[in-house]
Amino acid sequence: MRVLLMGNPNVGKSAIFSRLTGSHVVVSNYAGTTVEYTRGFLQLEERELEVIDVPGTYDLEPTNRAEAVASEMIAGGELIINVVDASHLERSLHLTLQLLLTGKPVVVALNMWDEAQKAGITIDTARLEQLLGVPVVPTCALTGDGMVVLKSRVQEARSSSLVSENGASLWQKAAEISQKVQKAPERASTFRDKLDHTTVHPVLGPVFALFVLLVSFGFVAYFGNFLHEMLEGVFELLWLPVAAWISGLMGGAGMLHDILIGTLIDGEIHFEESFGLLTTGLYIPLAVVLPYIFSFYLVLSILEDIGYLPRLGVVVDALMQRLGIHGLSIVPMMLGIGCNVPGVMAGRMLETRKERFIVGTLIAIAVPCMAQQAMVIGLLGQAGLSGLAIVYGTLFVLWMVMGAIMNRFLKGESPEMLIDLPPYRMPYWESLWKKIYMRMNGFIRSALPYVLLGVFIVNLFYTLGVIGYISQVFAPVITGLFGLPGEAGGALIVGFLRKDVAVGMLAPLGMELNQLIVASVVLMVYFPCIATFVVLFKELGVRDLLKLTLIMILVVVITGGGLHLLLQATGF
Amino acid sequence: MYKSLIELDLREEAEVVAFNGSSLMNRRLEGMGIRQGKKISRISSQYIRGPVIISVDGHQAAMGRGMATKLIVKPAERNGV
Repeated sequence: MRVLLMGNPNVGKSAIFSRLTGSHVVVSNYAGTTVEYTRGFLQLEERELEVIDVPGTYDLEPTNRAEAVASEMIAGGELIINVVDASHLERSLHLTLQLLLTGKPVVVALNMWDEAQKAGITIDTARLEQLLGVPVVPTCALTGDGMVVLKSRVQEARSSSLVSENGASLWQKAAEISQKVQKAPERASTFRDKLDHTTVHPVLGPVFALFVLLVSFGFVAYFGNFLHEMLEGVFELLWLPVAAWISGLMGGAGMLHDILIGTLIDGEIHFEESFGLLTTGLYIPLAVVLPYIFSFYLVLSILEDIGYLPRLGVVVDALMQRLGIHGLSIVPMMLGIGCNVPGVMAGRMLETRKERFIVGTLIAIAVPCMAQQAMVIGLLGQAGLSGLAIVYGTLFVLWMVMGAIMNRFLKGESPEMLIDLPPYRMPYWESLWKKIYMRMNGFIRSALPYVLLGVFIVNLFYTLGVIGYISQVFAPVITGLFGLPGEAGGALIVGFLRKDVAVGMLAPLGMELNQLIVASVVLMVYFPCIATFVVLFKELGVRDLLKLTLIMILVVVITGGGLHLLLQATGF
Repeated sequence: MYKSLIELDLREEAEVVAFNGSSLMNRRLEGMGIRQGKKISRISSQYIRGPVIISVDGHQAAMGRGMATKLIVKPAERNGV
């Protein structure tokens, strides 16, 4: 039997889903975390029920793509668990009534019960149950309260005898019911409200946002580096002897040795430059990229769970309108900084094709993922902050200019923002760690094989002389236009597979700082990795992807060439 | 007597009367509890044509300026004025 978990956005459907099925999905404090449905299984005595976490919707008639998924799913469901926000009863009930009118058996989970209680709201659940004609269970999915009762009452789900009246009166009906069962006090101003006012204040809001972003990225850079140095120590201490022993076994040379251990530098293994599967292939993802990914997701997840991201969206809205997208697009951008794939997918929360194209293009071209950034920070950071400042400055200018140009010339609508500002919440640590763990796990599982494959291909290419061939063919562009050594062409090819491996290939080339800057920017801007490319194809379709690719080639030629000339002219 | 939301003074109480925009937008507003008869007030506005923060039915939302000009409200009678 197929059970649908449905409700308004940001009422805790995904949290309930995790509790019911034991499977892990990402939970955040803003609308639209789930843009695609997730499936899990709930064991109920003898029966196994298939549970589907449906994207949040206000209405069964969809107003965006995530909602469209929701209304399509309804036909295939045999039972609906309707998740209702107890602290916003009336508007949740509007959807509840629509669901009851489908005639399917429904059970209502009155979630965020704790939040409602904190706000002094009381709800007569017995009365609500009677009025709706279906079981109603108070729950608090984050802590797990009420979940046992919910599970036991799923079988009691039944079709309501409520009859269809005309559509306009559904709201009246919802208001009527909520007035009958709910007592809500006048709200007194709290610390939370004050914080709220500061963070969306016209003057203090942007100042606060800048502060939050600086602290966040400062933390990611420093804590990431701290963890990296620790793991580097672990690698040197524990893994180096093993790798050296293997190298010795194979006599320090030969084709297999080149692939597994790589090139010895002054007779020794060098984790950054040897480029073997067991050396650089493990070192890049685990000791360089992972620490930064962890630091980033720690910060992002806290910002998400507190509920700051929608406010950040409000603050940057005026700026982002110039780019043809509204403020909430900052959420896909921020996710994209972790990994472009979920960033592009989150673009679904936007309504029009124009917006989704702009967001997809900006992420693919001007938002480098954390894996790539970790490597670039390692590569350029040694020479001080100036190189990094130029790289990030260039990307930011690109982001703005490209957005403005696309906004000017692309046809289509850019609707204004309309979002709920969910109350600030203390992060619930258990679910926060679970989320970070899931994201890390996702990274290791999806990235590690590709990194190893990338390193393998690099070795294969070198052995077969492909890199030399590519260098020759592309020399006019790579050397002539960008001022880079021909071998950097190999990095551009590998970059299509994994950008972090590609940046790693630059290390042994012994380039000048200005060359490193140009190479980093070119690598960040040109073709996103294959995983991102596939998602872009799915989200945008062939035609828009081709358009994006053309824009990208144009941008990389202009930016790479221009930066090279500029750095040369200024004698950097 | 009627004003658009944008003309409302900060924190002035009002009641939603109508929305002069697309029906799609109207449905989204309704879904978020912004509909006829609801008490609404403007908490703050961002500069340079940024969004307007409103409070409705005990929760807060942000909406674009264009939308806010299309949302017609009726300010509550003030005592002694």
